[in-house]
Amino acid sequence: MPKVGTYRANSVIYFQGDLGDKIFVLQRGRVTLNYNDIETGKLIREIIQTGEFFGVKSALGRYPREENAVVLEDANVLAFTVPEFEAFSMSNTRIIIKMLKVFSNQLRHIHKQVENLMENPSAVNAETGLYKTGEYYLRSRMYSQARYVFGRYLTYYPAGRMAEQAGRYLETAEAALARYGDGKGPAPLAVAQVASPYVGQEDAAPSAPPPMAAPKPQEGAGLSDVAKDYYNAVSLFSQEKFQEAMKILKAILETGSESEYVGKAQFDMGRCLFALGQWDLAIKHFTGIVQSAPKHPDMADILYIMGQSWEKKGDKARAKAFFSKVLSMPGDDDSSARIKAKKALGALGGA
Amino acid sequence: MADLAAFSRFARTYQAGEIIFSEYEPGDSFYLIQAGRVRITKIVGDIEKNIDILSAPEIFGEMAILEGAPRSATAIAVETVKVLEFNRANFEILMMGNPQIALRLLKVFTKRIYDQKRRFMILTLDDPQAKIADVFLMLDETQGALNQGEELGDKRDFRVTVDDVAHWAGMNPAEVQTLLSHFSNQRRIELYSDHIVVKNINDFIRFVNSKRKK
Repeated sequence: MPKVGTYRANSVIYFQGDLGDKIFVLQRGRVTLNYNDIETGKLIREIIQTGEFFGVKSALGRYPREENAVVLEDANVLAFTVPEFEAFSMSNTRIIIKMLKVFSNQLRHIHKQVENLMENPSAVNAETGLYKTGEYYLRSRMYSQARYVFGRYLTYYPAGRMAEQAGRYLETAEAALARYGDGKGPAPLAVAQVASPYVGQEDAAPSAPPPMAAPKPQEGAGLSDVAKDYYNAVSLFSQEKFQEAMKILKAILETGSESEYVGKAQFDMGRCLFALGQWDLAIKHFTGIVQSAPKHPDMADILYIMGQSWEKKGDKARAKAFFSKVLSMPGDDDSSARIKAKKALGALGGA
Repeated sequence: MADLAAFSRFARTYQAGEIIFSEYEPGDSFYLIQAGRVRITKIVGDIEKNIDILSAPEIFGEMAILEGAPRSATAIAVETVKVLEFNRANFEILMMGNPQIALRLLKVFTKRIYDQKRRFMILTLDDPQAKIADVFLMLDETQGALNQGEELGDKRDFRVTVDDVAHWAGMNPAEVQTLLSHFSNQRRIELYSDHIVVKNINDFIRFVNSKRKK
C-alpha cells in the first residue's frame, strides 16, 4: 500500500541526481519542482497541483531525478513504489492515458528541440534515404526487401527525383526474386556506388542500361579499371555533366580492350550527344553503331533515341519510322524502349 | 496478457524477411508484438547494423507519435510475426481496455524522453570538443554495463565509429574526425576503425562540466 508522508515547509522530497523508485502524488500543501533549463541554464520552477503525480519518469525509467522537489508549505504526499504504482494503474487506466498524453507531448517537444539544434538536420533527406535503403537491399540481393522499399518510394514520391530509376529497380528486384529467389543470383548492382539515378530530363531521357545488365564481377576480382571508368562516366551522366562523361567514354573507346564496356560506352556516348542537344552528331554516332554492331544489346534504345533526335530536328516522318522500327523488333513486349516508342508514336499522330 | 481478441481488426501478420516499415519511410503507426521476433536495423554506410531484436509483448515504432517524422530504423520480421497495428487516432481504444499495454507504452515514452533530453544536452554545448566528449559520457551512462569481464578503471571501450559520434553530436563527420584525431594526439583516446577507447572517462566528465552553462 502506498504510504503517506508528511513534509515540513522548506524540506526537500528528493534532490536532482538522486536515484529513487518512488512515484508521488501531492495530497495537500505546496510543492515545486526546481531545475535548470537544459538550453539556457535558467532556473525553472514548476508548481505541482494537488492531486498531481510527480517523479514518475525517473522512477519508471530508473534514471536519476531531474529536479529538486521542494516543499513550499507543509505537505502530505502519497508515495508509491513502482510495483504499487503498476498495480494501481491497472484499475486506473484513465490516469495512465492522461500521462501518456502528457508524455507524448513532452516527447514531441524535446524531439523538436533536438531537431532544431542539429547542424545537419538528419544528414540525408527522407527521400534520398529511402532510395538508398532500397539500393542497399538490391545490392545485397535481398530482393523482396528491395521491392518493398522501392514500392514505398514510388508510393510516397511518385514524381520524385529518383522515381524513374526506382521503378526500374523495382522491376529488377521483382525479376530477380522470381528468377533466383532472395539472396541468390548475380548481384544486380555490382558497384558499391552506382547510386546516382538518372536525373529525369522529361521524356527525353533515354532509358539507362537496365541494372541487370551490370557486369558480372570476374571471379573473385573487383571491378576492372575500365569498368570503374565506365561507371564513373555513368555517374557523371546522371549528374548531367555530359561533357565530362564524354571525355571518359571517349578514353574507354580508345583503349578498345574489353568489348563489353566498349559497347556500353558507345551507347552512352550517343546518349551524351543527345542530352547535349547535338541531334546530328547523335544520329551520326548511332548510325555508326547500327552498322558496325547490329546486334548491340541496347539496339531498341538506340533506335528510340535516333527517333527522338529526328523528332527534335523536326523530321516527323523519319522519327515515326524509327519509333515503328523499335516496335517491330522482336523481344520483350513491355521493355521501356517499346513503351516509350509507342507513346512517342501516339504523340506524333499514330503509326 | 489481456484479452486482445477484440482488437483483431488491428492484427497484422508478416512472414519471415518481410519489412514492416523501412528506415526513412514516413510513419504513422506503431506496433505491439503478439508473436514472433522483429529485427530492428539501420543501414550505416554500406553495412546493415542490427539495433535490436524484439519479441512479444514489446512495442516498436512508437516514435510515430511524432507524426509524419521519417522512421529512424527498419523493422523486419525474423519469423512469422503477429502484431497489432495502431496509430495516434486509435491507440486510446486499445489502451482503455489494456492497462498493461498502456503502462508499457508509458515506460517506452519515459525512456525516449530521457534519451532525447540527454541528446539535447550534448547539442546545447557550444564547444565542439565538449560535444564529442559528452557523446562518450552519454554512451557510458546508457551502455555502461558493456565493459563486462575485465576491470577497466577509468578506461572505457566504445563500439562506435566516427560517423556514429558525428550523428550523436549533430556535427559533420569530417569535423568530428579532425577533433577525434586531436584527442588522439593528446592521448586522451585511442581511435580504431570500429571502436574508440576513452583513456580516462573522469577527465571527460570534468571537461564537459567545465563547458556546461550553469
